[in-house]
Formats: sequence, structure tokens, C-alpha cells
Amino acid sequence: MHEMSLMAGVFKIVEEILDQHEIKRVVQIKLRVGELTNAEPAALHLAFAAYAQGTKAEGAELVIEQVPVQARCRSCGREFSVHGIFFLCPYCQTTGLEILQGEELLIESLEVE
Amino acid sequence: MKLGDTGESRRQIQVMANLLGANDVQAEVNRRHFHRHNCLAVNIIGSPGAGKTTLLERTLTALAADCRIAVIEGDIYTSKDAERIARLDIPVIQVNTGGGCHLDSQMVGKVLPQFTWPGPELLIIENVGNLVCPADFDLGEALKIVVLSVVEGDDKPAKYPVIFRNSQAVVLNKMDLLPFTETDLAAMKRDIFAINPEIVVFEVSCRTGEGLAVWQDWLRQLIRKYQGGAVFPSS
Repeated sequence: MHEMSLMAGVFKIVEEILDQHEIKRVVQIKLRVGELTNAEPAALHLAFAAYAQGTKAEGAELVIEQVPVQARCRSCGREFSVHGIFFLCPYCQTTGLEILQGEELLIESLEVE
Repeated sequence: MKLGDTGESRRQIQVMANLLGANDVQAEVNRRHFHRHNCLAVNIIGSPGAGKTTLLERTLTALAADCRIAVIEGDIYTSKDAERIARLDIPVIQVNTGGGCHLDSQMVGKVLPQFTWPGPELLIIENVGNLVCPADFDLGEALKIVVLSVVEGDDKPAKYPVIFRNSQAVVLNKMDLLPFTETDLAAMKRDIFAINPEIVVFEVSCRTGEGLAVWQDWLRQLIRKYQGGAVFPSS
């Protein structure tokens, strides 16, 4: 359940934003979560409900966009999606890959009133 | 941060901030501290019972003759592991997470002043027993090492790929018990290399001592490489 720690990170950022802007309430929070992280959407939703209680984000919608793993082959330079556990270039079969996306844990945007 | 109107009073605020931002900042502080003091920091991760502490006992006694070592023991509640390391006369600090399933960079940074610096050339950080949560938290270490015992089953690398992707070596422990299990060692290693083709795999038994010398030599060389200015991929 390290999603509680991740959600602490979300609320730290949200509080900073609440301090900087005049906001009555937070309507929606959008997260981008890479598939190459161990953050579980269901656990994030639970953690969100716990953290949001009694704050301006109580009742807000949490939207989690899961980001698939994309990589670039260091040998042939081509880009492709990585499915499952096989980190292998489908074009030249080499294994030296640079991960382009799929490792992010980001708060993308807030919708506020 | 940009403000964009989407209605009369509703508006969108673009943020794009890292949830682990605070952790990553402190991890970088820790990493610089280790670098300044020429200390190779290693984050040891594995399931409860994989043999992390036993591997440390077997490894540190062999390495203590030729280098200075210190240990940070992560545990939810107890100091049992730290007591085992202290018996070897190796400086050790216990960090209790109080229910937390992983160490984070603040917990590590907070206890670093308790060691004497410059001091250890090798700092082992034994994480909380867990193959999931510790994978997402950078502690400032130079590298992560997974301890996986063969009795846990050959499906574990495929079930917990992130930690194998983020680590530089795997110690496959309890090799002496392999004949008593259904584990397909070839399949286990095939999955490990599929997830991370550059990972180094050691097959050991902490009970019989099998394979430990090769692993210890690798670690010795790593300390020398780090002190020689090598940059490690872990971040």
C-alpha cells in the first residue's frame, strides 16, 4: 500500500496550488501513471478518498490515465510499445532499450472552481 | 502553471508535477552525500524470508576484512535484523517504518548523520521485505539488488517485473533447496533476462555457502569501480 505515500505526494502538490490560487473546491484531479510503476489504480482511489476527507478536494473525481510502456531501440532507433515482460526490439531483436514512457507518476492537472 | 477557463467558474490548472518529487529531491541529496564520501550505497530488496539478512551476514563478514562497511536496516516494527548485524561488529542503524511498506529517501537521509563520515566504503540499505513498494522509491543508492529465493517459485519475476527492471543484480538464494521445489530455474532466469537483459544473476546458497565467493568478488569490484569514478545506472 505505498499508494498512501504516493497520495501524500499528490496532496502536497494540491496544497501548494490551493495556496497559490483562489479556489473554492477541487472538482477533478488527473494523474498519469506509467504501467512500469507499481501504483495500483484501485489502491490510489482508496488512498485518495482517505486523503480528500475534510479538504477542498473532498468529493472530487480522481481520473487516472495509465500510460503504456514505449521504448526506443538503441541499435536500430525504432520506437515501439513494450507488452508484457519482454523488453526486446521487435525489429532487430536486440535488448538495449531506452524507455520513453511508462515510468511516470505525475499529477497532470486539476479542475477547480 | 497555466490557467484555462472551461466554464464560468470552473477552470483547469495544468500541473505536470512528479508525485515522488519530494522523495527524488532528498534521494539526490543522499546520492551526493555518498558520492562525496566515496561510499557505494546499495539498496537490497526482496520478499520476507528471501534471505536478505542472512545474505548480509554471509557477505559482510567476508568483506569486512578489506573494506569498511555500514548497514541501514529497514523494518516495519522490530530491530531483529539490526541485532543480527550488530553481532558482527558492523555499524548498523535500525529504521522502523511504523507500518510503512518501504523505506523512502527521507528516512535514509535522516539517519545518515548517525554514522561517522567519511566512514563506510560500502553502505548496505536493507529495505522492508516487499517486492512491490520499494521499487518505486529512490533512496539515493548507486544500485538496487533483488534477493529472490528459488523456493518462492519461478513465476515471481513475471509477477513483479518493475523491481527486476529497476535492479542491477539478482541474488537467487536457497539454491540448495531447488531439488525440493517445483521451481523451473531456467524459466525463472529466462523471465528475469526478458525483463532486464543487462541484469547480473548470482546463484547462491547462504546455508551451504555455494556461489557466495563469486557474488562477494563482484561486490568488491563494484566498490573499486565506484571509487574509481564509475557512474552506476540506478536513479
